[in-house]
Amino acid sequence: MSQDADATPEEKQKPRAKAQIKHSSWSWFATPQPIKHLFDKFPLEIYSENELPQRTAYERDPHALYVFTTNDGARAGAPSFNPGCLKWQAYLKFRNFPFITKSSNNHASPTGALPFLLPASSSSTSVEAPPSPVPSNRIQRWTRDVREKRIADSKSSNLGNKEAKQGEAQPETRASTEEATASSDIWDIRYEAYMSLLDHRIRNAYLYSLYLSPPNFDAIAFPLYIAPSTTNTLVRITISHQLRAAAEAELLKQSSRIDVEAIYQESEKAFAALSDLLGDDEYYFKEKKPGLFDASVFAYTNLLLDKGLGWRDTRMVNGLRCHPNLVAHQKKLKKAYF
Amino acid sequence: MADPLESGDDIFDTLRKGVDPKLQAEKDRIRNEREYAHYEKTQRRLGELIQNNSTLPTTISSIRILGASNTRKSFLERIFNPILSVNQDRPYTLAEAIREVSAGADKLHRLDIFHEPISIFIDRPAKTDPSTTPTDIDFYLSVREKARILIKTGTSAGNGEGEAYTNVQLRNMFGGAESLSLNASLGTRTRSAYQANFESPILSNPDLRWEIGGIASSTQKSWASHEEVLKGGWTKLRWMAQGGGRHELGYNGIWRQITGLASNASPTIRNDAGDSVKSSIQHTWVKERRDNPMLPTRGYLNKTTVELAGWGPLQGDVGFGKAEVEAQGAIPIPIPGVKGESGVSLTANVRAGLLYPLPLGLESEAKPSRINDRFGLGGPTDVRGFRLSGLGPHDGSDAVGGDVYAAGSANLLFPIPGVPLDRPFRFQTFLTGGRLLALKKLKNGGTNSENVRQVVGSTIAELSNGLPSIAAGFGLIYAHSIARFELNFSLPLVQRSGEDARKGLQFGIGINMM
Repeated sequence: MSQDADATPEEKQKPRAKAQIKHSSWSWFATPQPIKHLFDKFPLEIYSENELPQRTAYERDPHALYVFTTNDGARAGAPSFNPGCLKWQAYLKFRNFPFITKSSNNHASPTGALPFLLPASSSSTSVEAPPSPVPSNRIQRWTRDVREKRIADSKSSNLGNKEAKQGEAQPETRASTEEATASSDIWDIRYEAYMSLLDHRIRNAYLYSLYLSPPNFDAIAFPLYIAPSTTNTLVRITISHQLRAAAEAELLKQSSRIDVEAIYQESEKAFAALSDLLGDDEYYFKEKKPGLFDASVFAYTNLLLDKGLGWRDTRMVNGLRCHPNLVAHQKKLKKAYF
Repeated sequence: MADPLESGDDIFDTLRKGVDPKLQAEKDRIRNEREYAHYEKTQRRLGELIQNNSTLPTTISSIRILGASNTRKSFLERIFNPILSVNQDRPYTLAEAIREVSAGADKLHRLDIFHEPISIFIDRPAKTDPSTTPTDIDFYLSVREKARILIKTGTSAGNGEGEAYTNVQLRNMFGGAESLSLNASLGTRTRSAYQANFESPILSNPDLRWEIGGIASSTQKSWASHEEVLKGGWTKLRWMAQGGGRHELGYNGIWRQITGLASNASPTIRNDAGDSVKSSIQHTWVKERRDNPMLPTRGYLNKTTVELAGWGPLQGDVGFGKAEVEAQGAIPIPIPGVKGESGVSLTANVRAGLLYPLPLGLESEAKPSRINDRFGLGGPTDVRGFRLSGLGPHDGSDAVGGDVYAAGSANLLFPIPGVPLDRPFRFQTFLTGGRLLALKKLKNGGTNSENVRQVVGSTIAELSNGLPSIAAGFGLIYAHSIARFELNFSLPLVQRSGEDARKGLQFGIGINMM
């Protein structure tokens, strides 16, 4: 019906203040000074900003991690029911990082997949440009930057901020030891190898067992992922179909056909390897505090061992239960951090 | 037939010279005049004839439609059978009979399946036929059907948007003036849009139509950093009321998806991202009394729209009642010393809308509105001098829309010196303003009906708190038959912090401009 001819999307995305200056003085039409002064007099009156709608999140102070969870779960900070989200939720909790969780969906994410973190906004007005969201693959680096900045700030201001240091000191030393170890190539290769067990073998089996095994899809995936997005039956059917097709496509990326038996066997082998790696230690890689790898393992074990979810096809769950040390690892983390 | 050219001595010389354009024009004029005079004379003669016989008792024994080979007989019968004398309890006079048949022809014309003009012939049946009575006459309507398939394809560029489109229209599909229209377009801003709608008159009545349609589209909404994907359908009934108002009553079921967020999208947009289904009934009433909708100089337009979504059996994911009213009036302004139309006119517009949250289905609490349902205000077609959706609440650079609005404008139109009045160009000065507000945040939490009523009341009261956001300016109008084009210079006078005003030139295209 109508188009604003001159406002291209690029211009729109710039902060407002800049855009206005740009348009009052066109590049091909140099505005003479007197006219520019005249333009600057307008608008004659500026009132305070309009209130934001009711659905808008008003509290913007704590950092917010957008995850798959229920509304009640978000308020309570309960563990997310999506392994990708739970991994980073657990990681931030392990690091004592202050944040809240928000119930969201993939459409909200800058990468098209949850989770992502929306840093706290420093300004109280809605007119300021909001901070950019941090996608999951940059969360680790971002937390490090935030800490370094905070440490630098607290050092430069010589005020006695002991409490800040008390909270920060421990994780900071841990982070540095992790980095020191990370410098060793052998460690790196081992870490990568074990990480790929989780990212491929366990993930594949999880994808199959949640989305493509019909009893689990009906009992878990449907009520958690599909039902909250809409009440409309037709749309639910469409989204269910899309979700299953996406899971299938993901599995077919790695092999030309879906061999259920092979997928489950691979995951059982992977659990055995993870169990061996953990051994009798409290946390992976003999660390004193849980790290990202513990979070990655916990993301799957917590979901598989959650009786509340109601797994119907329990093949994968049984594969995990054979390893008591993995079960204990999950219990300990759950108890300590959630 | 006297030929003005015959006066020359040598016919070959004249031919060699070619036809003098002046002479040709003169010739055309004389011919036209002659034809017109002839036509007038026959008309007058016919008029007199009918006048003299207007009270002649007449019975319509038959009406034949010639040339309607693709139109169903039963469909045409529904229009013309009631007129036939067999179905009337008293005889017509000749004038009445002609009037009735003309009304039928007018209906045919409004069905939009025949070319203009539809000619009417009258004949007397052969006296030799024993079944006829002396008062019998036959009517013949000669029609020419319009093309049944119309395919348009094209590309367009401009407005920072490139677009390619295909439009296929099937007219008179089943011989009952049914039409099917299929649209597909791909573009940069409206990423893709596919639309199909089927429309059919009910009981051969051009003033009562039923429509069913579906849409699948994806549109970039850069002013709120997202892309909206729609899939859905609607059905509606359209009819003309006695007083000349047009009514539409329909049901919409649409699955909306807020997706493809820009990297700097605000938290408000991120919270609204995802799926929602709107199931609503909608009623629109329009009364159009403007002399020219694109460039009105006198008359008025009234329009109301009411939509009810999610309430009771409607279900869906959003519940609200939405009402919008619009009024436009235009008056010509006489200039002392100028005879006849001065070409100067004043148009005034008022628009207002309210989005009232309602509980979904049988729930007791109403849910707050989403960006898909809230109003946007500002831009070259409503409050000029502001960017598209430039008014109302903003989160960062995103226009997040509001639940209550009121806007108005006054435009003074002048003819452009040296340009004839009947040309579609005008110069205008305008003063326009409006306010768009979101419902205030609920203080004591619950969204039961009593709380909602209070909040809506206090938000409406807030509309008159302080001056509205206002802009003033001047510019040029070109009123094309399908859209109006404007190039304006404007400056904001009053605005809210965060609102997106535009200083300087603004170009606008619109069908329904404020």
